[in-house]
Amino acid sequence: MLTMVNMRWSLGYCIILASILTGEAGAAGDDRERRIEELERRVQQLEQQIQQLLGTKPGTKPEDKPGGKSEAYPTEAERTPEMRLPVSGYMDFHFNKPRGEPGQLDFHRFVLLFGHSFSDRIKFWSELEVEHAFVEGREEKGELELEQAYLDFLVKPYFNLRGGMLLAPVGLINERHEPPSFHGVERPFVDTVILPSTWFDTGVGVFGDLGRGLVYKAYLMSPLDATGFSAAEGLREGRQKGFQSSWQNPAQTGRLEYHGIPRLALGASFWRGSTGFRFRGVNPRVKVFEIDGRYRLGRFDFRGEYAQVAISKAGELNLALQRETGVSPNVAERLRGFYFEPAVRVLPRRFNRDLALFARYENFDTQNRMPRGFLPLKQFDRSAWVVGATYYPEPDVAVKFDYTFLRNASSVVKAVNSLNFGIGWWF
Amino acid sequence: MLWLLLLLAAAPPTKVIHMTAERFTFIPSQVKVKAGTVVEFRIHSEDTNHGFRIPAAGINEVIPKRGKGELKVVFHADRPGRYEFECSKPCGAGHNMMRGVLIVEE
Repeated sequence: MLTMVNMRWSLGYCIILASILTGEAGAAGDDRERRIEELERRVQQLEQQIQQLLGTKPGTKPEDKPGGKSEAYPTEAERTPEMRLPVSGYMDFHFNKPRGEPGQLDFHRFVLLFGHSFSDRIKFWSELEVEHAFVEGREEKGELELEQAYLDFLVKPYFNLRGGMLLAPVGLINERHEPPSFHGVERPFVDTVILPSTWFDTGVGVFGDLGRGLVYKAYLMSPLDATGFSAAEGLREGRQKGFQSSWQNPAQTGRLEYHGIPRLALGASFWRGSTGFRFRGVNPRVKVFEIDGRYRLGRFDFRGEYAQVAISKAGELNLALQRETGVSPNVAERLRGFYFEPAVRVLPRRFNRDLALFARYENFDTQNRMPRGFLPLKQFDRSAWVVGATYYPEPDVAVKFDYTFLRNASSVVKAVNSLNFGIGWWF
Repeated sequence: MLWLLLLLAAAPPTKVIHMTAERFTFIPSQVKVKAGTVVEFRIHSEDTNHGFRIPAAGINEVIPKRGKGELKVVFHADRPGRYEFECSKPCGAGHNMMRGVLIVEE
Protein backbone atom coordinates (compact mmCIF):
# COMPACT_ATOMS: atom_id res chain seq x y z
CA MET A 1 0.00 0.00 0.00
CA LEU A 2 1.41 3.37 -0.98
CA THR A 3 1.02 5.76 1.88
CA MET A 4 1.02 9.54 1.94
CA VAL A 5 4.58 9.71 3.22
CA ASN A 6 5.87 7.55 0.43
CA MET A 7 3.89 9.57 -2.07
CA ARG A 8 5.56 12.73 -0.86
CA TRP A 9 9.01 11.27 -1.39
CA SER A 10 8.10 9.71 -4.70
CA LEU A 11 6.38 12.84 -5.98
CA GLY A 12 9.42 14.99 -5.30
CA TYR A 13 11.65 12.44 -6.90
CA CYS A 14 9.45 12.30 -9.99
CA ILE A 15 9.25 16.05 -10.35
CA ILE A 16 13.02 16.28 -10.38
CA LEU A 17 13.24 13.37 -12.79
CA ALA A 18 10.61 14.84 -15.06
CA SER A 19 12.40 18.12 -15.20
CA ILE A 20 15.61 16.38 -16.17
CA LEU A 21 13.88 14.24 -18.82
CA THR A 22 12.05 17.15 -20.34
CA GLY A 23 14.77 19.77 -19.91
CA GLU A 24 16.77 21.23 -22.73
CA ALA A 25 19.92 19.21 -23.20
CA GLY A 26 22.01 22.16 -24.15
CA ALA A 27 20.91 24.61 -21.46
CA ALA A 28 23.58 26.60 -19.74
CA GLY A 29 24.86 25.39 -16.32
CA ASP A 30 23.59 28.48 -14.47
CA ASP A 31 20.12 28.10 -15.91
CA ARG A 32 20.01 24.45 -14.87
CA GLU A 33 21.04 25.28 -11.28
CA ARG A 34 18.37 27.94 -11.10
CA ARG A 35 15.76 25.48 -12.27
CA ILE A 36 16.90 22.86 -9.75
CA GLU A 37 16.70 25.42 -6.93
CA GLU A 38 13.21 26.30 -8.04
CA LEU A 39 12.19 22.64 -8.07
CA GLU A 40 13.70 22.08 -4.60
CA ARG A 41 11.66 24.99 -3.32
CA ARG A 42 8.51 23.47 -4.79
CA VAL A 43 9.32 20.06 -3.27
CA GLN A 44 9.71 21.70 0.16
CA GLN A 45 6.34 23.37 -0.28
CA LEU A 46 4.76 20.01 -1.14
CA GLU A 47 6.42 18.42 1.91
CA GLN A 48 4.92 21.05 4.17
CA GLN A 49 1.49 20.55 2.67
CA ILE A 50 1.66 16.77 3.09
CA GLN A 51 2.88 17.13 6.69
CA GLN A 52 -0.17 19.27 7.40
CA LEU A 53 -2.41 16.63 5.85
CA LEU A 54 -0.82 13.94 8.01
CA GLY A 55 -1.20 15.98 11.16
CA THR A 56 2.52 15.87 11.88
CA LYS A 57 3.58 18.28 14.56
CA PRO A 58 5.36 21.39 13.21
CA GLY A 59 9.09 20.97 13.18
CA THR A 60 8.90 17.21 13.33
CA LYS A 61 10.05 15.36 10.31
CA PRO A 62 8.18 12.11 9.82
CA GLU A 63 11.45 10.24 9.53
CA ASP A 64 12.53 11.43 12.98
CA LYS A 65 10.31 8.84 14.65
CA PRO A 66 8.41 5.83 13.48
CA GLY A 67 4.86 6.74 12.91
CA GLY A 68 1.53 5.46 11.86
CA LYS A 69 -1.84 6.51 10.76
CA SER A 70 -5.14 4.82 11.12
CA GLU A 71 -7.56 4.78 8.27
CA ALA A 72 -10.46 4.75 10.69
CA TYR A 73 -9.74 7.49 13.20
CA PRO A 74 -7.44 10.49 13.59
CA THR A 75 -4.20 9.76 15.39
CA GLU A 76 -3.50 11.00 18.90
CA ALA A 77 -2.06 14.49 18.66
CA GLU A 78 -0.08 14.48 21.88
CA ARG A 79 1.16 11.77 24.19
CA THR A 80 -0.56 12.05 27.52
CA PRO A 81 1.71 10.83 30.33
CA GLU A 82 -1.15 10.80 32.85
CA MET A 83 -4.52 9.63 31.64
CA ARG A 84 -7.83 9.25 33.45
CA LEU A 85 -9.55 6.27 31.93
CA PRO A 86 -13.30 6.32 31.35
CA VAL A 87 -15.54 4.48 33.79
CA SER A 88 -16.54 1.03 32.66
CA GLY A 89 -18.85 -1.49 34.20
CA TYR A 90 -21.21 -4.37 33.85
CA MET A 91 -24.56 -5.35 35.23
CA ASP A 92 -26.59 -8.49 35.68
CA PHE A 93 -30.36 -8.56 36.12
CA HIS A 94 -31.96 -11.97 36.69
CA PHE A 95 -35.29 -13.70 36.99
CA ASN A 96 -34.99 -17.13 38.63
CA LYS A 97 -37.89 -19.54 38.97
CA PRO A 98 -37.01 -22.78 40.80
CA ARG A 99 -39.62 -25.45 40.13
CA GLY A 100 -42.39 -25.42 42.72
CA GLU A 101 -41.26 -22.10 44.17
CA PRO A 102 -42.20 -18.52 43.39
CA GLY A 103 -40.04 -16.68 40.91
CA GLN A 104 -37.63 -13.95 41.99
CA LEU A 105 -36.37 -10.84 40.27
CA ASP A 106 -32.87 -9.95 41.38
CA PHE A 107 -30.53 -7.16 40.32
CA HIS A 108 -27.67 -9.53 40.91
CA ARG A 109 -24.66 -7.38 40.11
CA PHE A 110 -23.97 -3.70 39.59
CA VAL A 111 -20.29 -3.22 38.95
CA LEU A 112 -18.26 -0.12 38.18
CA LEU A 113 -14.64 -0.22 37.08
CA PHE A 114 -12.27 2.69 37.43
CA GLY A 115 -8.79 3.00 36.05
CA HIS A 116 -6.05 5.56 35.89
CA SER A 117 -2.73 5.70 34.08
CA PHE A 118 -0.25 7.66 36.15
CA SER A 119 2.18 7.12 33.30
CA ASP A 120 2.79 4.59 30.56
CA ARG A 121 4.42 2.41 33.25
CA ILE A 122 2.25 2.85 36.32
CA LYS A 123 -1.44 2.01 36.07
CA PHE A 124 -4.28 1.61 38.51
CA TRP A 125 -7.34 -0.61 38.06
CA SER A 126 -10.33 -1.23 40.31
CA GLU A 127 -13.71 -2.91 40.44
CA LEU A 128 -16.44 -2.01 42.91
CA GLU A 129 -19.47 -4.25 43.06
CA VAL A 130 -22.90 -4.13 44.65
CA GLU A 131 -24.53 -7.55 44.74
CA HIS A 132 -28.29 -7.98 45.05
CA ALA A 133 -28.83 -4.23 44.96
CA PHE A 134 -29.27 -3.60 48.66
CA VAL A 135 -26.74 -3.53 51.46
CA GLU A 136 -27.76 -3.21 55.08
CA GLY A 137 -25.55 -3.66 58.10
CA ARG A 138 -25.10 -7.25 59.12
CA GLU A 139 -28.28 -8.42 57.46
CA GLU A 140 -28.11 -11.10 54.80
CA LYS A 141 -29.19 -8.75 52.02
CA GLY A 142 -26.61 -7.71 49.51
CA GLU A 143 -22.90 -7.17 49.43
CA LEU A 144 -20.73 -4.21 48.66
CA GLU A 145 -17.39 -5.56 47.56
CA LEU A 146 -14.11 -4.09 46.43
CA GLU A 147 -13.17 -6.93 44.12
CA GLN A 148 -10.15 -5.32 42.55
CA ALA A 149 -7.96 -2.34 43.40
CA TYR A 150 -4.37 -2.73 42.37
CA LEU A 151 -1.41 -0.91 40.96
CA ASP A 152 0.58 -2.29 38.05
CA PHE A 153 4.21 -1.41 37.49
CA LEU A 154 4.88 -2.27 33.87
CA VAL A 155 8.54 -3.11 33.37
CA LYS A 156 8.79 -5.33 30.32
CA PRO A 157 6.13 -7.26 28.41
CA TYR A 158 7.45 -10.45 30.02
CA PHE A 159 7.87 -9.10 33.56
CA ASN A 160 5.61 -6.72 35.45
CA LEU A 161 4.69 -6.17 39.08
CA ARG A 162 1.25 -5.93 40.64
CA GLY A 163 -0.02 -5.27 44.18
CA GLY A 164 -3.31 -4.56 45.93
CA MET A 165 -6.68 -6.27 45.86
CA LEU A 166 -6.39 -8.95 43.20
CA LEU A 167 -8.53 -11.55 41.51
CA ALA A 168 -7.15 -15.02 42.08
CA PRO A 169 -5.95 -16.11 38.64
CA VAL A 170 -7.78 -19.43 38.93
CA GLY A 171 -10.28 -20.77 36.45
CA LEU A 172 -12.06 -19.71 33.32
CA ILE A 173 -14.62 -17.37 34.85
CA ASN A 174 -12.91 -15.69 37.76
CA GLU A 175 -11.07 -13.15 35.60
CA ARG A 176 -13.50 -13.19 32.67
CA HIS A 177 -16.87 -12.76 34.30
CA GLU A 178 -18.47 -9.97 32.28
CA PRO A 179 -22.03 -11.22 31.53
CA PRO A 180 -21.76 -11.16 27.70
CA SER A 181 -18.60 -13.29 27.88
CA PHE A 182 -20.29 -16.50 29.07
CA HIS A 183 -23.52 -18.35 28.35
CA GLY A 184 -26.17 -19.04 30.95
CA VAL A 185 -27.91 -16.68 33.32
CA GLU A 186 -25.84 -17.80 36.31
CA ARG A 187 -22.15 -18.62 36.24
CA PRO A 188 -21.30 -22.33 35.92
CA PHE A 189 -21.72 -24.35 39.13
CA VAL A 190 -18.10 -25.51 38.91
CA ASP A 191 -17.02 -21.87 38.98
CA THR A 192 -19.21 -21.28 42.01
CA VAL A 193 -18.90 -24.22 44.40
CA ILE A 194 -15.60 -25.83 43.37
CA LEU A 195 -13.79 -22.61 42.39
CA PRO A 196 -15.32 -19.85 44.50
CA SER A 197 -15.64 -17.09 41.93
CA THR A 198 -15.49 -14.23 42.31
CA TRP A 199 -12.36 -15.11 44.25
CA PHE A 200 -10.45 -12.01 45.31
CA ASP A 201 -8.13 -10.94 48.08
CA THR A 202 -5.07 -8.87 48.86
CA GLY A 203 -1.78 -9.85 47.31
CA VAL A 204 1.32 -9.06 45.30
CA GLY A 205 2.78 -10.73 42.27
CA VAL A 206 4.26 -10.73 38.82
CA PHE A 207 2.75 -11.23 35.40
CA GLY A 208 3.74 -11.01 31.77
CA ASP A 209 3.67 -12.20 28.20
CA LEU A 210 6.47 -14.62 27.39
CA GLY A 211 5.85 -14.53 23.65
CA ARG A 212 4.75 -17.41 21.42
CA GLY A 213 1.29 -17.07 22.94
CA LEU A 214 2.28 -17.78 26.56
CA VAL A 215 0.94 -15.52 29.28
CA TYR A 216 1.53 -16.02 33.00
CA LYS A 217 0.62 -14.68 36.43
CA ALA A 218 2.13 -15.64 39.78
CA TYR A 219 0.91 -14.07 43.01
CA LEU A 220 1.26 -14.33 46.75
CA MET A 221 -2.21 -13.79 48.21
CA SER A 222 -3.93 -13.82 51.56
CA PRO A 223 -4.82 -17.38 52.53
CA LEU A 224 -8.26 -18.91 52.75
CA ASP A 225 -9.87 -19.20 56.18
CA ALA A 226 -10.76 -22.84 56.95
CA THR A 227 -13.47 -21.83 59.43
CA GLY A 228 -15.66 -20.92 56.44
CA PHE A 229 -15.41 -24.22 54.55
CA SER A 230 -18.62 -26.21 54.14
CA ALA A 231 -20.04 -29.39 52.69
CA ALA A 232 -22.31 -27.64 50.21
CA GLU A 233 -20.12 -24.85 48.90
CA GLY A 234 -16.60 -26.03 49.61
CA LEU A 235 -14.14 -23.15 49.92
CA ARG A 236 -16.60 -20.40 49.14
CA GLU A 237 -17.10 -18.90 52.60
CA GLY A 238 -13.40 -19.26 53.30
CA ARG A 239 -12.53 -16.20 51.21
CA GLN A 240 -11.25 -13.39 53.41
CA LYS A 241 -12.08 -10.79 50.74
CA GLY A 242 -9.42 -8.38 51.89
CA PHE A 243 -11.13 -7.65 55.21
CA GLN A 244 -8.11 -7.32 57.49
CA SER A 245 -6.88 -10.48 55.81
CA SER A 246 -4.41 -12.54 57.71
CA TRP A 247 -1.06 -12.55 55.95
CA GLN A 248 0.24 -15.46 57.98
CA ASN A 249 1.55 -18.04 55.52
CA PRO A 250 0.43 -16.32 52.29
CA ALA A 251 -0.91 -18.61 49.63
CA GLN A 252 0.81 -19.11 46.28
CA THR A 253 -1.23 -19.02 43.13
CA GLY A 254 -0.57 -18.79 39.43
CA ARG A 255 -1.92 -19.28 35.97
CA LEU A 256 -0.42 -20.06 32.58
CA GLU A 257 -2.35 -19.43 29.37
CA TYR A 258 -1.51 -20.44 25.84
CA HIS A 259 -2.85 -18.55 22.83
CA GLY A 260 -0.34 -19.73 20.24
CA ILE A 261 -2.80 -21.58 17.99
CA PRO A 262 -5.47 -19.52 16.24
CA ARG A 263 -8.93 -19.72 17.84
CA LEU A 264 -7.64 -21.91 20.69
CA ALA A 265 -7.00 -20.77 24.26
CA LEU A 266 -5.74 -23.14 26.95
CA GLY A 267 -5.24 -22.38 30.61
CA ALA A 268 -3.94 -24.06 33.74
CA SER A 269 -3.96 -22.63 37.22
CA PHE A 270 -3.20 -23.56 40.80
CA TRP A 271 -3.57 -22.35 44.36
CA ARG A 272 -1.88 -23.70 47.46
CA GLY A 273 -1.75 -22.44 50.98
CA SER A 274 -2.37 -23.07 54.65
CA THR A 275 -5.79 -22.14 55.97
CA GLY A 276 -5.79 -22.74 59.70
CA PHE A 277 -4.59 -19.41 61.06
CA ARG A 278 -7.66 -19.18 63.32
CA PHE A 279 -6.98 -22.56 64.96
CA ARG A 280 -4.36 -23.89 67.32
CA GLY A 281 -2.93 -27.18 66.22
CA VAL A 282 -5.01 -27.66 63.06
CA ASN A 283 -3.66 -26.10 59.91
CA PRO A 284 -5.23 -27.66 56.80
CA ARG A 285 -3.50 -27.03 53.50
CA VAL A 286 -5.59 -26.38 50.42
CA LYS A 287 -4.38 -27.27 46.94
CA VAL A 288 -6.42 -26.28 43.91
CA PHE A 289 -5.64 -27.46 40.42
CA GLU A 290 -7.56 -26.39 37.34
CA ILE A 291 -7.32 -26.70 33.57
CA ASP A 292 -9.57 -25.12 30.95
CA GLY A 293 -9.87 -24.61 27.23
CA ARG A 294 -11.80 -22.61 24.66
CA TYR A 295 -11.99 -23.19 20.93
CA ARG A 296 -13.82 -21.51 18.06
CA LEU A 297 -14.61 -23.28 14.83
CA GLY A 298 -16.58 -21.13 12.44
CA ARG A 299 -19.88 -20.38 14.15
CA PHE A 300 -19.23 -22.95 16.89
CA ASP A 301 -17.71 -22.21 20.29
CA PHE A 302 -16.51 -24.85 22.73
CA ARG A 303 -15.31 -24.45 26.26
CA GLY A 304 -14.55 -26.80 29.10
CA GLU A 305 -13.01 -26.84 32.53
CA TYR A 306 -11.81 -29.33 35.11
CA ALA A 307 -11.11 -28.34 38.71
CA GLN A 308 -10.03 -30.27 41.76
CA VAL A 309 -9.52 -29.17 45.36
CA ALA A 310 -7.60 -31.10 48.02
CA ILE A 311 -7.92 -30.20 51.70
CA SER A 312 -5.50 -31.86 54.09
CA LYS A 313 -6.48 -32.65 57.68
CA ALA A 314 -10.16 -32.29 56.79
CA GLY A 315 -11.15 -34.72 59.56
CA GLU A 316 -9.32 -32.71 62.21
CA LEU A 317 -10.87 -29.54 60.80
CA ASN A 318 -14.38 -30.99 61.08
CA LEU A 319 -13.77 -32.01 64.69
CA ALA A 320 -12.28 -28.62 65.58
CA LEU A 321 -15.24 -26.77 64.05
CA GLN A 322 -17.69 -29.12 65.74
CA ARG A 323 -16.11 -28.33 69.10
CA GLU A 324 -16.59 -24.60 68.40
CA THR A 325 -20.06 -24.58 66.86
CA GLY A 326 -21.60 -27.87 67.87
CA VAL A 327 -22.10 -28.92 64.25
CA SER A 328 -19.66 -30.68 61.98
CA PRO A 329 -19.41 -28.93 58.60
CA ASN A 330 -18.58 -32.29 56.99
CA VAL A 331 -15.82 -30.77 54.89
CA ALA A 332 -14.44 -33.22 52.32
CA GLU A 333 -10.77 -33.84 51.67
CA ARG A 334 -11.37 -33.71 47.92
CA LEU A 335 -13.79 -31.64 45.79
CA ARG A 336 -14.02 -32.14 42.05
CA GLY A 337 -15.94 -30.69 39.14
CA PHE A 338 -15.90 -30.33 35.39
CA TYR A 339 -18.04 -29.05 32.58
CA PHE A 340 -18.21 -28.98 28.82
CA GLU A 341 -20.17 -26.46 26.80
CA PRO A 342 -20.70 -26.34 23.03
CA ALA A 343 -22.48 -23.33 21.55
CA VAL A 344 -23.47 -22.27 18.05
CA ARG A 345 -24.25 -18.84 16.68
CA VAL A 346 -27.22 -19.33 14.41
CA LEU A 347 -27.81 -15.96 12.75
CA PRO A 348 -25.96 -15.21 9.50
CA ARG A 349 -22.88 -13.02 9.86
CA ARG A 350 -24.43 -10.23 7.83
CA PHE A 351 -26.98 -9.63 10.59
CA ASN A 352 -26.25 -6.83 12.96
CA ARG A 353 -27.11 -9.04 15.94
CA ASP A 354 -26.41 -12.55 17.07
CA LEU A 355 -28.15 -15.51 18.68
CA ALA A 356 -26.24 -18.33 20.33
CA LEU A 357 -27.72 -21.65 21.39
CA PHE A 358 -25.80 -23.61 23.99
CA ALA A 359 -25.88 -26.68 26.19
CA ARG A 360 -23.63 -27.20 29.18
CA TYR A 361 -23.11 -30.41 31.10
CA GLU A 362 -21.66 -30.01 34.58
CA ASN A 363 -20.64 -32.55 37.14
CA PHE A 364 -19.58 -31.27 40.54
CA ASP A 365 -19.14 -33.00 43.84
CA THR A 366 -18.12 -31.16 46.98
CA GLN A 367 -18.02 -34.47 48.91
CA ASN A 368 -15.91 -36.35 46.40
CA ARG A 369 -13.60 -37.96 48.95
CA MET A 370 -14.24 -37.81 52.68
CA PRO A 371 -11.75 -38.04 55.53
CA ARG A 372 -11.74 -41.23 57.57
CA GLY A 373 -14.76 -41.40 59.85
CA PHE A 374 -16.98 -39.06 57.81
CA LEU A 375 -19.64 -40.09 55.32
CA PRO A 376 -20.37 -38.06 52.19
CA LEU A 377 -23.65 -36.15 51.96
CA LYS A 378 -24.99 -37.48 48.68
CA GLN A 379 -27.07 -34.42 47.88
CA PHE A 380 -23.82 -32.59 47.19
CA ASP A 381 -22.76 -35.04 44.50
CA ARG A 382 -24.48 -33.14 41.71
CA SER A 383 -24.74 -32.85 37.96
CA ALA A 384 -26.59 -30.38 35.76
CA TRP A 385 -27.65 -29.84 32.19
CA VAL A 386 -28.02 -26.17 31.40
CA VAL A 387 -29.60 -25.52 28.00
CA GLY A 388 -30.57 -22.16 26.63
CA ALA A 389 -29.89 -19.23 24.38
CA THR A 390 -28.06 -15.93 24.46
CA TYR A 391 -29.30 -13.14 22.24
CA TYR A 392 -26.90 -10.29 21.46
CA PRO A 393 -28.77 -7.23 20.13
CA GLU A 394 -25.28 -5.80 20.14
CA PRO A 395 -22.02 -7.47 21.22
CA ASP A 396 -21.93 -5.96 24.72
CA VAL A 397 -25.57 -6.67 25.61
CA ALA A 398 -26.71 -10.23 26.32
CA VAL A 399 -30.33 -11.28 26.79
CA LYS A 400 -30.16 -14.74 28.32
CA PHE A 401 -32.50 -17.64 28.84
CA ASP A 402 -31.81 -21.10 30.19
CA TYR A 403 -33.39 -24.08 31.84
CA THR A 404 -31.32 -25.95 34.41
CA PHE A 405 -31.89 -29.64 34.99
CA LEU A 406 -30.21 -30.32 38.32
CA ARG A 407 -29.61 -33.84 39.64
CA ASN A 408 -27.96 -35.26 42.74
CA ALA A 409 -27.02 -38.68 44.06
CA SER A 410 -29.29 -38.53 47.10
CA SER A 411 -32.43 -40.63 47.33
CA VAL A 412 -33.79 -38.34 50.04
CA VAL A 413 -33.03 -34.75 49.08
CA LYS A 414 -34.40 -33.84 45.67
CA ALA A 415 -32.59 -31.43 43.37
CA VAL A 416 -34.68 -28.59 42.00
CA ASN A 417 -34.76 -27.58 38.34
CA SER A 418 -35.02 -23.91 37.49
CA LEU A 419 -36.05 -21.55 34.73
CA ASN A 420 -33.87 -18.48 34.37
CA PHE A 421 -33.95 -15.25 32.41
CA GLY A 422 -31.32 -12.56 32.53
CA ILE A 423 -30.07 -9.37 30.98
CA GLY A 424 -26.40 -8.56 31.23
CA TRP A 425 -24.40 -5.77 29.73
CA TRP A 426 -20.91 -4.35 29.64
CA PHE A 427 -19.87 -0.83 28.78
CA MET B 1 5.51 3.80 -17.82
CA LEU B 2 8.95 4.76 -16.57
CA TRP B 3 7.30 6.91 -13.91
CA LEU B 4 5.18 4.00 -12.74
CA LEU B 5 8.20 1.72 -12.46
CA LEU B 6 10.05 4.37 -10.51
CA LEU B 7 7.10 4.82 -8.20
CA LEU B 8 6.89 1.08 -7.54
CA ALA B 9 10.62 0.84 -6.97
CA ALA B 10 10.52 3.69 -4.48
CA ALA B 11 7.72 2.12 -2.36
CA PRO B 12 9.04 0.29 0.74
CA PRO B 13 7.89 -3.30 1.44
CA THR B 14 4.53 -3.66 3.17
CA LYS B 15 3.63 -6.39 5.64
CA VAL B 16 0.04 -7.05 6.64
CA ILE B 17 -0.47 -8.36 10.17
CA HIS B 18 -3.84 -9.90 10.95
CA MET B 19 -4.41 -9.59 14.67
CA THR B 20 -7.19 -10.73 17.00
CA ALA B 21 -8.07 -8.81 20.14
CA GLU B 22 -10.03 -10.49 22.91
CA ARG B 23 -10.14 -10.24 26.67
CA PHE B 24 -7.23 -9.92 27.57
CA THR B 25 -4.78 -10.66 24.79
CA PHE B 26 -3.65 -9.59 21.39
CA ILE B 27 -3.04 -12.59 19.15
CA PRO B 28 -0.25 -12.49 18.09
CA SER B 29 1.21 -10.39 20.88
CA GLN B 30 4.69 -10.30 19.35
CA VAL B 31 5.36 -9.16 15.80
CA LYS B 32 8.78 -8.99 14.15
CA VAL B 33 9.54 -6.98 11.00
CA LYS B 34 12.61 -5.64 9.21
CA ALA B 35 13.43 -1.96 9.46
CA GLY B 36 12.02 -0.04 6.54
CA THR B 37 8.86 -2.11 6.38
CA VAL B 38 5.46 -0.52 6.31
CA VAL B 39 3.37 -2.58 8.74
CA GLU B 40 -0.36 -2.65 8.20
CA PHE B 41 -2.21 -3.98 11.24
CA ARG B 42 -5.67 -5.34 10.56
CA ILE B 43 -7.25 -5.97 13.93
CA HIS B 44 -10.64 -7.44 14.73
CA SER B 45 -12.20 -8.10 18.11
CA GLU B 46 -13.80 -11.31 19.32
CA ASP B 47 -15.78 -9.52 22.03
CA THR B 48 -15.99 -5.87 23.04
CA ASN B 49 -14.26 -2.66 21.92
CA HIS B 50 -10.58 -2.63 22.62
CA GLY B 51 -8.02 0.09 22.17
CA PHE B 52 -4.81 -0.19 20.16
CA ARG B 53 -2.16 2.18 21.37
CA ILE B 54 1.50 2.44 20.40
CA PRO B 55 2.75 5.19 22.71
CA ALA B 56 6.08 5.61 20.89
CA ALA B 57 4.28 6.41 17.65
CA GLY B 58 1.37 8.44 18.97
CA ILE B 59 -1.13 5.89 17.73
CA ASN B 60 -4.26 5.38 19.80
CA GLU B 61 -7.27 3.86 18.06
CA VAL B 62 -10.41 1.90 18.85
CA ILE B 63 -10.91 -1.67 17.62
CA PRO B 64 -14.57 -2.21 16.70
CA LYS B 65 -16.65 -4.75 18.58
CA ARG B 66 -17.10 -8.31 17.35
CA GLY B 67 -18.82 -8.37 14.00
CA LYS B 68 -18.52 -4.60 13.53
CA GLY B 69 -15.53 -4.59 11.22
CA GLU B 70 -11.80 -4.26 11.72
CA LEU B 71 -9.31 -1.54 12.50
CA LYS B 72 -6.54 -0.79 10.02
CA VAL B 73 -3.45 0.92 11.33
CA VAL B 74 -0.38 1.68 9.22
CA PHE B 75 2.93 1.84 11.06
CA HIS B 76 6.18 2.89 9.38
CA ALA B 77 8.86 0.74 10.94
CA ASP B 78 11.66 3.09 10.00
CA ARG B 79 13.94 2.51 12.96
CA PRO B 80 15.00 -0.69 14.71
CA GLY B 81 13.67 -1.10 18.24
CA ARG B 82 10.93 -2.52 20.41
CA TYR B 83 7.59 -0.74 20.16
CA GLU B 84 5.16 -1.83 22.83
CA PHE B 85 1.45 -1.67 22.15
CA GLU B 86 -1.44 -1.98 24.58
CA CYS B 87 -5.19 -1.93 24.93
CA SER B 88 -6.19 1.63 25.76
CA LYS B 89 -9.89 1.09 26.28
CA PRO B 90 -10.92 -0.58 29.56
CA CYS B 91 -12.16 -4.04 28.68
CA GLY B 92 -12.42 -5.90 31.98
CA ALA B 93 -10.50 -7.38 34.86
CA GLY B 94 -7.31 -8.09 32.90
CA HIS B 95 -7.23 -4.85 30.93
CA ASN B 96 -3.73 -3.83 32.06
CA MET B 97 -2.36 -7.18 30.91
CA MET B 98 -3.49 -6.70 27.34
CA ARG B 99 -0.21 -5.74 25.76
CA GLY B 100 2.22 -6.74 23.06
CA VAL B 101 5.37 -5.69 21.29
CA LEU B 102 6.40 -4.90 17.73
CA ILE B 103 10.07 -5.72 17.22
CA VAL B 104 11.74 -3.85 14.37
CA GLU B 105 15.00 -5.57 13.44
CA GLU B 106 17.99 -4.26 11.48
